[in-house]
Amino acid sequence: MIEIKNITKKFHSVTALDNVSLEIKDQEFFGLLGPNGAGKSTLMNLLIGYLNADEGEINIDNERVKKDNLSVRTKIGMVPQTIALYDDLSAFENLEIFGSFYGIKKNLLRAVIAENLNKVQLFDRRKDKVKNFSGGMKRRLNIAASLLHDPQILLCDEPTVGVDPQSRNAIFDYLIQLNEEGKTIVYTTHYMEEAERLCSRIAIIDFGKIIAEGTLEKLIEKLPYEQTILINKNHSTEDKIELFKSFGSLLNEQEKYELKPFDHLKLSDFFKSMEENGISYQSIDLHKPTLEALFLQLTGRRLRD
Amino acid sequence: MKAILSLIKKDYRIFFHDRPAMSMTFIVPAVLIFLFGSIFGGSSSTPTGINIAFINNSKSKIANKLESVLDTTQAFKLIKEYTNDEGKVVKFDTNSVKDYVRKGNASAALVIPEDAFTDTSTGLRLKFYYDPKNEIEMQTIQGLMQQTIMSQMPNIFMASMQHREETMLGKNKGMKFNRKIASVVSEYYGIDTSKILNWTKFSFSDSLVADSASNKNNFFKDLLDLEKVQLVGKNINNPNATRSVGGWAVMFLLFTITAASTSLFDENKSGVVVRILSAPVSRVQILWGKYLYNISLGCIQLSVLFLTGYIFFNIDIFSNLLNLIIIIISSAAACTAFGMLLAAFCKTSAQANGLGTFLILTMSAIGGAWFPTFILPQFIQVLSKGTIVYWSVEGFLQVLWRNANTVEILPYAGVLLGITAVVNLISILQFKKGNIF
Repeated sequence: MIEIKNITKKFHSVTALDNVSLEIKDQEFFGLLGPNGAGKSTLMNLLIGYLNADEGEINIDNERVKKDNLSVRTKIGMVPQTIALYDDLSAFENLEIFGSFYGIKKNLLRAVIAENLNKVQLFDRRKDKVKNFSGGMKRRLNIAASLLHDPQILLCDEPTVGVDPQSRNAIFDYLIQLNEEGKTIVYTTHYMEEAERLCSRIAIIDFGKIIAEGTLEKLIEKLPYEQTILINKNHSTEDKIELFKSFGSLLNEQEKYELKPFDHLKLSDFFKSMEENGISYQSIDLHKPTLEALFLQLTGRRLRD
Repeated sequence: MKAILSLIKKDYRIFFHDRPAMSMTFIVPAVLIFLFGSIFGGSSSTPTGINIAFINNSKSKIANKLESVLDTTQAFKLIKEYTNDEGKVVKFDTNSVKDYVRKGNASAALVIPEDAFTDTSTGLRLKFYYDPKNEIEMQTIQGLMQQTIMSQMPNIFMASMQHREETMLGKNKGMKFNRKIASVVSEYYGIDTSKILNWTKFSFSDSLVADSASNKNNFFKDLLDLEKVQLVGKNINNPNATRSVGGWAVMFLLFTITAASTSLFDENKSGVVVRILSAPVSRVQILWGKYLYNISLGCIQLSVLFLTGYIFFNIDIFSNLLNLIIIIISSAAACTAFGMLLAAFCKTSAQANGLGTFLILTMSAIGGAWFPTFILPQFIQVLSKGTIVYWSVEGFLQVLWRNANTVEILPYAGVLLGITAVVNLISILQFKKGNIF
């Protein structure tokens, strides 16, 4: 179990993490969702002992995590946000290098490398230089490099940045499989879709503070409405912005308006008003709220702002 | 046109934000122009203060006059004493002065022997012991030495003739002889007698330095018997290659090590350092790993370069192999310390490489990798002794040129290792203070 107790971390005058406390259970797929600069990577760097906290402590299975405690690191595999590989070396050589830091014997290491390359479907490309790989292949290798010592915890710091949808799905499937095999996964992202899809429990972080935490369902329950109203943009809806705003807060998306209804709104009143203003039912759709909506509700800002 | 102007403006903006590019464009060339200008042009094109060991065993006035002339010549600094094994400062004798040159304390020694000039002499006999560890240096020293001596020969010759005349004929008869000679010359060449008599009025008390250049003449050259004795490097297979291999090798070693050290920045930027530190590896271990890698790479590179010198230029690297290895290791350690210092103080790889290039070229120029340091201005010669290049080049010369033994090379290895220790200490403090990773 990972225990994060009252962690504060400052960089000069900037408070990156402010009294953060979390508990992540064994075999959990835990998501840390927040916009860029919220403090996600700082928390990851504290979890691997790359940084020391100014206040508070982190324990993994009751063992303190800090810069000078090297033994606890054998329990952790880290997938950095960047592609932390040597471009001019082959996939196999990269894994040999990173595996060697865990004291795995040469023959065993070779077998482990082969196994992991197979799992990320790169065994056939093991002799190719990393610089010749696609973005998705590099990301998969980036994950494989973190699993050579079979850690019980895998920390993934935005591991799908810049990856095409197909590779992203492959990575998601692999992470889900690892979680099902018993690994605890801590996953940071600023994509709410990723957190919603992968994580059994999510903490939302903003300006270094945890502003909400729980399962997806519990988090959505915090919203004052149960459904989001999506209105297609067309000739009948384009000049009705003021009308829509009278029913809730409105987000002007590229192809749609997204309406977060006010507390007291009755859907029947809304649809009646739409009909009176010549807006067809076909232009309107109802959706379950997302984490994006929760973040907006909690901070007044959008995740990607 | 507006677009082109915008593009030009854009490039200038980027350029002025790129400090390494600015340094390579303006500072590096300016420093090198200053150095080369100081050497090959500028206010004075003649080197000054070249150390020459000196003995005057002659009691003749001519010898004493020559010593005083050399003493006042800016080109040379005469060293007449040395500290012996007992720690006492004593005057040179012929053996000690030769040892002094052999050990590389001075590039040459001038000895005025007891019989340099006698009453029956028609010329001046001198001995010149030298170590041509650097050909340019030795040619310059010999040229300046001969120029200085020869410029005095006409006056010395005339004075000696007067002296001999006085000794043989007596003062009155001598003057009578001069007047007769003057009247004969006047009769046949139409020159005023008083003018001719003035020419003969030379004395050892007169300034002998006056008209040096105008009196240079082949006739007078016969009056000087400068016996040259090469003390060091007579059996060197390929003197030119042997002299230059060390300097070039050290310069390229510095470039290699700087690039290797600053790779820390690239590893940090790519996230590799975070990945490594997420394993059971400490920061100190990363630094040690990088440090030992650089030293070993430096040793391998220097060995390969010397081996190349052996294969292509027949440079003898095997007869003094142990001492060569000592200097190779010392140089590699010092160059690695330099690379780590750059990594500790710079913030980016580009900054480190820009500053590194500037410092390496400057150190190579003033440290003796490109040309001998003696031709540099005095204050730069002092600065050069603070560079890794200087001590490495001198160390390699001790081993390859002078075939020095382990005790003799210890000062060079010691200085290099001393520089290594001090620079490493500074780097460690900066690594602790800074936030490279």
